[in-house]
Amino acid sequence: MIHMGKSWLKYYIIKRLIYAIVIAWGIVSITFILVRIGPGSPADKYLANMSVKGQDVAQITAAIEARYGLDKPLWEQYANYMVNLFQGDWGWSFSTSMPVIDLIKTHWIYSFQLILLSTIFAAILGILIGVYSAVKKYSKIDYAATFLSFLGISIPNFWLGVMLILLFSVQLGWFKTYYDTTLPLFSWENLKALILPVITLGTGMLAGYVRYTRSAMLDNLNKGFVTTARAKGLPERTVIGKHVFRNALLPLFTIIMFDLGSIVFGGAYLTEIIFGIPGLGQISFKAIFADDYPVVVAVTLIGTFLVLIINLITDIAYTYLDPRIRYD
Amino acid sequence: MTEVLTSVFRRIGGPLYNNRRLLNYYWQRTSKNKLAVAGLAFVIFLILLALIGPLFTLDPTQVNFEQKNLPPVGLSTEVSIYDRATGEFTATKIYGMWEHPLGTDSKGRDMLAMLISGARISLWVGLIATGIAIFIGALIGVLSAYLGGWADNVLMRFTDVMMTFPFFLLLVMIVFIFGSSLALIVLVIGLTGWTGAARLIRSEALSLRTREFVTAAKALGASDGRVIFRHLFPNVVSLIIVMATLSIPGVILAEAALSFIGLGDPSVTSWGIILESGQQSLDTSWWVAVEPGIMLLLTVLAFNFLGDGLRDAFDPRSNI
Repeated sequence: MIHMGKSWLKYYIIKRLIYAIVIAWGIVSITFILVRIGPGSPADKYLANMSVKGQDVAQITAAIEARYGLDKPLWEQYANYMVNLFQGDWGWSFSTSMPVIDLIKTHWIYSFQLILLSTIFAAILGILIGVYSAVKKYSKIDYAATFLSFLGISIPNFWLGVMLILLFSVQLGWFKTYYDTTLPLFSWENLKALILPVITLGTGMLAGYVRYTRSAMLDNLNKGFVTTARAKGLPERTVIGKHVFRNALLPLFTIIMFDLGSIVFGGAYLTEIIFGIPGLGQISFKAIFADDYPVVVAVTLIGTFLVLIINLITDIAYTYLDPRIRYD
Repeated sequence: MTEVLTSVFRRIGGPLYNNRRLLNYYWQRTSKNKLAVAGLAFVIFLILLALIGPLFTLDPTQVNFEQKNLPPVGLSTEVSIYDRATGEFTATKIYGMWEHPLGTDSKGRDMLAMLISGARISLWVGLIATGIAIFIGALIGVLSAYLGGWADNVLMRFTDVMMTFPFFLLLVMIVFIFGSSLALIVLVIGLTGWTGAARLIRSEALSLRTREFVTAAKALGASDGRVIFRHLFPNVVSLIIVMATLSIPGVILAEAALSFIGLGDPSVTSWGIILESGQQSLDTSWWVAVEPGIMLLLTVLAFNFLGDGLRDAFDPRSNI
């Protein structure tokens, strides 16, 4: 095969990045407008935080609104917000009285560790079971795996979380009912505290990966090159591992990356709320109730950008995983 | 009215409605899949339960503190009751009774009645929201494929934006701002959930567009509308049925999740709302959290089995 350079890739990436920025801008705008047309002013929660006593509340509200530009017309607030955002200023969180960027810096790690551990758990176990299931097609274990993966896909993860708490925390007392935020991040205690949340978040993904791995393996198992490999007298391990599995990896890679992008506001959101993990999902959830629009918009922006960037990385990675793919 | 509906159904469901032999063929193929048949049976059971169940059960909103936290029949729980005469707590066992076969919650409401009421809500949410989503998805998908060019580009970029939007966060925001009403929740889920359908139907319609029968119809002078509704639509019906069946569980779960985090419509008894109240009382009445979850699980499982079976049955390449 003639090896062609990947110079087209550079233009492709630039095009996609511009596209990502446009989409992110659209989504930020919609979020900003949605949060700001809601009832109540961010100043209300700010005041509640400062516990004003014996002072004229209306006067202070007006002063705060003037200070943060909340008294200006909405379009002007929007324009200011966008300009600041572009300059790297994420705004001020009214409900927690700190810059949004600091709030995110202290909380992102909680979401990250949960998502990372769940993905590792689901991907490793899912691929192992899926490969075994495909190789031993129509065996008892295959049937069991298929049925259980249907169950795993169908189980509402928030209910699974509650059931795990009920069984292992309330009845057996093995774990705390709530995630302990005082634990040091890189410690065994923290890992133990994350077991139930990881199972809650990972089960649905695990079940999905079992099914995808199985069907991707089966797609390739009766292809011509597999027969050739067997005819050459290669050991079955090599045939499955090198010839079938490598070809099954591409669709699997797509689905794992897609999950990674969508999970932040999907399962992780609910898991964080159930177990009281102070990640980005939980802070944005609280921020919505507190009219704290800078936090909501910032977290939405991060989530959206993550999806777009992960999609881009996936598409670029394709060209390396499968050299036949080109985008120009 | 019925005439209009019938004609719409004949037109859209064309091949399946008019050709009983085809319908029979699909049924034969579907019925070979035991799990799909079980799923279908459960869905029918659920629909019947939602339709006629409320006639036989107690009022799901009836509060009775005398009979609160009753376990399901056959089970018992230990409750410590404060005795005024002695000033001591005495542990008493309370047993489930047939009046409340699935027990009661912390306000003494009958669990069976609440679950049946929840079935009604979930099915309603699932069917209407999926209906809206599939309708929009099919329209955009078919239009995009048929028109092509810049219209296709605009529609697909719009689909991309909708797909990237963090859907659940949007749902939480809109419901928080405009209030928790079931109609709004259904509308938002329906209006945002069509992206996957649009993409799939577009790709299916794209391949159909170049087939001979479409060219023949055009050559005979058929209008764009006629080609779309008479020739393209009926051919994606089986795909639409499969997609609808597989997207109903997601919709039901979205409503339940929203109710679970406290943003459900407080005027209805949905499974998510029961589950949320059950989470608060795990130590005194665990069944309140367990039962609606089992209903949710079975419902989602049934639709998934059915959808999977239908997909295999409709796919002429799969050998069953």
